Amino acid sequence: MADTAPADRRGGFGRGRGRGGRGRGRGRRGDEKTEWVPVTKLGRLVKAGKIKNMEEIYTFSLPVKEYQIVDYFLPSLKDEVMKIMPVQKQTRAGQRTRFKAFVVIGDSDGHVGLGVKCSKEVATAIRGAIILAKLSVIPVRRGYWGTALGEPHTVPCKVTGKCGSAMCRLIPAPKGTGLVAAPTPKKVLQLAGITDCYTTSRGSTRTLGNFVKATFAAIGNTYGFLTPDLWSETEFTKAPFQEHTDFLAVKQRK
Amino acid sequence: MSRLPTILNATEQDLQMLLAAQCHLGTKNVTERMKPYVHKTRADGINIINIGKTWEKLIFAARVIANIENSQDICVISARPYGHRAALKFAKYIGAEAVVGRFTPGTFTNYITRSFREPRLIITTDPRSDFQAIKEASYVNIPVIAFCDTDSPLQFVDVAIPTNNKAKHAIGLAYWLLARAVLRLRGTLDYDTPWDVMVDMFFYRDPEEAEKEAAAAAAGLEGKEGEVTGEWGGAAEADWALEGAAAEGAAGIAPVATEWNAQASSDWADDGAVGSTSWADATPANNNPGASSWD
Repeated sequence: MADTAPADRRGGFGRGRGRGGRGRGRGRRGDEKTEWVPVTKLGRLVKAGKIKNMEEIYTFSLPVKEYQIVDYFLPSLKDEVMKIMPVQKQTRAGQRTRFKAFVVIGDSDGHVGLGVKCSKEVATAIRGAIILAKLSVIPVRRGYWGTALGEPHTVPCKVTGKCGSAMCRLIPAPKGTGLVAAPTPKKVLQLAGITDCYTTSRGSTRTLGNFVKATFAAIGNTYGFLTPDLWSETEFTKAPFQEHTDFLAVKQRK
Repeated sequence: MSRLPTILNATEQDLQMLLAAQCHLGTKNVTERMKPYVHKTRADGINIINIGKTWEKLIFAARVIANIENSQDICVISARPYGHRAALKFAKYIGAEAVVGRFTPGTFTNYITRSFREPRLIITTDPRSDFQAIKEASYVNIPVIAFCDTDSPLQFVDVAIPTNNKAKHAIGLAYWLLARAVLRLRGTLDYDTPWDVMVDMFFYRDPEEAEKEAAAAAAGLEGKEGEVTGEWGGAAEADWALEGAAAEGAAGIAPVATEWNAQASSDWADDGAVGSTSWADATPANNNPGASSWD
């Protein structure tokens, strides 16, 4: 169960008191700027500047546990709160309401993330969701509909993603089409940096949670698709942990 | 299978040790993936493991381990008590870390846990009982080397070393051989000299046995030692005999019984919590090569 983050003020439970509605998460950043002390190996490498960009992390499928890593490489991420959903649990003394926040984060240029967090307070939920969204940032592969002219603007091929019963299919579109989609996937695609796209969906798209996850899965599949231009053999490079093993060995806390 | 330099071949002595420790005896069940390693099923249902393959995989695993530059990035795991001592000794001689006993879930995935660590490779005694470690390794891109019996599931295991992982001598010997192979590949040991660390150090000891030894040591009486060592020695005598077959170095079986007993006892002394000073005095000035190697 999504437990509240340790640094949670015990605001009374129950209805969402305090700032209601969906606060635009934008202003939240730039809080107390305390120095980030990395805990994971990857964190240490990033802080020391040994890793050049997110793509290196993606190449080796390294799990990202500290959101500051993402901040370091992608400082211009914008977040969008898709929905605050109150969910309830029945207790002997009535219902216990918590708020589930869906946050999509992206830099409109090839990186998106989706975070879902449940918490007793709206603000905490949003904050937590933003962090989780950062941790789940994924690269988006864009391609062309027709002639490879200018920058890639659409999905490279037809991709689909499914979550629950909600299915979302993305289809390449010619330049200038714009995003032909429902408001929910539209926001996600905008933040991903896809300018033109046709979409089709199926299933209970009303369940926003599943629908958003489905489009996220579809976008993620763009890099999972083997297209002919990827047929050539890959030149394997050393994994970061192996390459920087000396550096990592030195910094042993305890 | 693959063509390796002949120096990496199993020697006659190695194979004898494997057989003496019963590393070749599997269980009555066989997993699909372990079928290639089974030589044959005995009349009573026990599957016999192909020792040649055991050796090959052992060397393969040793090469993987030796390739990790920083040995502290290796984690040895054993939930089952029979493997505790072996895992700890292995870690000590290789320079790795050992996680023995209960594997706290989240050790690899949760950076908040006190026992959080990020190894680059893990070695496990049994995929079935160390499943938690193997599962977590799958979340964090960590390759897994495992000592697998015929009934072991190989899911997420990258290098499987087929061997008996139920018997204490088998487990101890397997770890000992692996440690020796890694040290040889690293260049710390050479292939001609037998390793002066004895296999017995890797065997599991019953707590009562350990207490008895400690008591005997404290008493410091030769007679008592003889009695205790004889008991224990009897069980492992087979290994001793084989080890000493080459008859060289510290592990060599001296024809003199007392020397042998004292040697055995002196090993324990260093191992046990007993102050070695009393031992040094108690041990006759035989100038045991075994004792000296321990200091």
